[in-house]
Amino acid sequence: MNRATRIAVIVAMAIAVLAPIGLVVYQSFLDGPFFQPKTAFTLSAYEFVLDDEDFYDALWNSAIIAFGMTAIAVPVGAMLAFLMTRTDLPGQRWIEPVVLVPMFVSSVVLAFGFVVSLGPAGFVTLWVKGWLGFEPWNLYSKAMLIVIAGLTHVPHVFLYTSSALRSLGSDVEEAARMTGAGPLRVALTVSLPMVMPNILYAAVLVFFLGFELFGLPLVLGDPEGILVLATYLYKLTNKLGTPSYQLMAVVVVAIICIALPLVALQRYLLRAANRYVSVKGKAAAQKRVGIGFWRWPAALVIVGWLLFTVVVPISGLVLRAFVSSWGEGVNLMDSLTLAHFHELMQFPNLVRGIVNTLLIASVGGALSVGVYTLLNLAAHRWNSGWTRLMDYLVLLPRAMPGLVAGLAIFWVFLFTPFLSPMRQTMIAIWVAYTLVWLAYGMRLVSGALLQIGPELEEAGRIVGASPARVSRDLTVPLIKVGLISSWLLIFVTFMREYSTGVYLLSPGTEVIGSLLVSLWGSGAVDLVTALSTVNIAMIGCGLLLMSLFGKRSHG
Amino acid sequence: MAKLTIDDLHLSYGSNHILKGITATFAQGEIVALLGRSGSGKTTLLRSIAGLEEPSKGVITIGNAPVFDGAAGLNVPSEKRGLGLVFQSYALWPHKTVFENVAYGLRLRNAPKAEIQQRVGAVLDGVGLGHLGDRYPHQMSGGQQQRVALARALVYNPPVILLDEPLSNLDAKLREEARIWIRDLIKRMNLTAVFVTHDQIEAMAIADRVVLLDGGRIVQAGTPEQLYTEPVSLFASEFMGTNNLVKSRVQDKRGGYVQIELSGFPLWGKDRGGKAVSEDATGVIRLEQVEVVGNGTEGGSGGEGENRIRAELETSLYLGSHWEHVFRCGAQTLRAFGRPLAPGPHWLHLPPEQLWVF
Repeated sequence: MNRATRIAVIVAMAIAVLAPIGLVVYQSFLDGPFFQPKTAFTLSAYEFVLDDEDFYDALWNSAIIAFGMTAIAVPVGAMLAFLMTRTDLPGQRWIEPVVLVPMFVSSVVLAFGFVVSLGPAGFVTLWVKGWLGFEPWNLYSKAMLIVIAGLTHVPHVFLYTSSALRSLGSDVEEAARMTGAGPLRVALTVSLPMVMPNILYAAVLVFFLGFELFGLPLVLGDPEGILVLATYLYKLTNKLGTPSYQLMAVVVVAIICIALPLVALQRYLLRAANRYVSVKGKAAAQKRVGIGFWRWPAALVIVGWLLFTVVVPISGLVLRAFVSSWGEGVNLMDSLTLAHFHELMQFPNLVRGIVNTLLIASVGGALSVGVYTLLNLAAHRWNSGWTRLMDYLVLLPRAMPGLVAGLAIFWVFLFTPFLSPMRQTMIAIWVAYTLVWLAYGMRLVSGALLQIGPELEEAGRIVGASPARVSRDLTVPLIKVGLISSWLLIFVTFMREYSTGVYLLSPGTEVIGSLLVSLWGSGAVDLVTALSTVNIAMIGCGLLLMSLFGKRSHG
Repeated sequence: MAKLTIDDLHLSYGSNHILKGITATFAQGEIVALLGRSGSGKTTLLRSIAGLEEPSKGVITIGNAPVFDGAAGLNVPSEKRGLGLVFQSYALWPHKTVFENVAYGLRLRNAPKAEIQQRVGAVLDGVGLGHLGDRYPHQMSGGQQQRVALARALVYNPPVILLDEPLSNLDAKLREEARIWIRDLIKRMNLTAVFVTHDQIEAMAIADRVVLLDGGRIVQAGTPEQLYTEPVSLFASEFMGTNNLVKSRVQDKRGGYVQIELSGFPLWGKDRGGKAVSEDATGVIRLEQVEVVGNGTEGGSGGEGENRIRAELETSLYLGSHWEHVFRCGAQTLRAFGRPLAPGPHWLHLPPEQLWVF
């Protein structure tokens, strides 16, 4: 790529990132929808929101939930990572592939699963009630919400900590053993401190995700009226009868203001973490630490966690999708049925949603990976002010939760004359998805690009290839495997995305995620569970594809 | 005829000056080694010629056409310079077969299919890999990969071929063979070649001319013999061979020779540094030039004389083809090659024309 093309690509990205945010900020200072002819600048929207008790309630709840879930997810995740990578824990081969499942299933689907299994009329609740004679828990409490949010975010901590622990050579541990430290002491004084920056990074990430939480509080917080920032924004749409754009804009600005410093902190920590891990020992031979009798209780705790966060909600949800009625005294075997799926097929919008989801995940995902690759190539092997600008621009969409980004994109498509005809097409959805997952996708592709040495490209220039031909003939073919696995990850990610499409939902732009949110609001539980089951099955296929591809490209 | 000329080339990264005014000419059919320690700027100079680094000042001309001119703002991109470069890591493209690696440069030049087939075949035959065109780079040994890299750089007849530490990734035995066949191939094809190395033996073995660099400047340029036998500075003499160093003070000066002193023994040596009387100076003599002339015990053979010193044999190392002896004379140690010696004192002769004083 030559200089002019690189700059053009970066400018295009800057517009795509800044336009939605700029529009939201602009809207927040108006007294009516931005597209109405007579609007004036005012701070009234800020005054209204800052006077609203519900807003402070939501802010407070978000803070408590974010703190609470971090306090649960970080120790559990770090411990899990240590047990899985460094010890002779039994059953690792079975546990390993299941650990990340909560990350890949959309949290709104997991939330439905918890309602169906552990809710007041849930399968497990009724079963336990039959034993004890009373209901031992209340799913719709704030404490339960925090526990569920914490336990479902354990995989995030696990992922970052375990990858750091894996790249840590066991020679640093052996050195500590040689000087006389026992296994536990080694873990506490050598292994874990060495990956502390990674744990810290994961902690900030989880805290940040806590502020973004939408699916879980929407489903589990609603019955008791527990609002968080995202659900407050969602409810605001209907609060005043007519859509009050300026109020929504203010809440969005508030969310971005909280998220942006956290994103910046994460970036700083990630750099610190990378610097730390590069001072590692040889990772060639890793010897695991024997923890003796303790491996059994440890394994039991992990299995318990998996039961609670994966098995119970998902099996409950799938079971619920296949039965006509349940409750005390009903034999589930007699009420097995496919009726909910037949019903699903009667609704053209739901069928369209399934087709659209497949399209956005496969074709759209491939196009997005194409965009991420193009952006990466624009900054590839080029150190200048433009690439630093790009580094910062990538952070901005990260500070916008899917719900917020979807709203902003919706407005951009409403506002820009040549875009408005596309507002009710999948193009709008694709733009929103690509933007929301920009930072994630960019990292996937740049990871692949980092693998190729600069001299492979220089050799191309020397034998006579222009920069464009080097990209086409050498760079892209060299990262082909990385691009395919990026596409598979984006495929699963787009498949489970639910919040981004919420505001963009209209005839023609249905996707499973946004349909689930709106169906849940209407109380159609049969359809919700059937559609969720379809979604889980699709994600399962994606994960299967991923593991098959991973095996092939390594073998 | 000058094939490649470099005139007052400067290059810096920020405030870090890498090249500080390099001027050199490379004649048609000549093999030149750029020799220096790491950080001397030799690889940067090579990459500047290739167009992979952008100098801040100076002129680079290939044939008659300038490819870089700092003052005129001219910087021809790498792909338009038409040079060949063999990378230290070989940089073979792992997704292309050996044939495709070599053919890529011809495809970029829109050569017809039949011609590509013929020329790639010929150059692969030339490096002795004619039968391995269908393999992928990872299926080949290091030595074979290096031959492919060379073939890739040669196939489109570049005016100048550049080699970046071409032998450093080979093991010792292969390296000695490669020196011979690479020089042979370049000479047979009458190519102009510039190669970078940090190994003075390798430079002397392959090159017609050696350019010694240090700290971004050329220290000395000339034939391998000139560099070895007439180094212009202490650095050059130290870099090109293994020496004994005598730190001393100039005692006397006469007819191009100066007198220094080693633990009380006066020694005459060639005046290379132009130091005045009573200035600090360093005497340098190659290990192989120190002669053991006789037993130093009372009444032993040989004895005192001009430029001779009496030294105690401290230890001897057996190196297979010869012995290396370490002598001590006062605070000074001296090393010399030779046949096995009895322990005790010996007389050593340091010929004045081989002892250089800087």
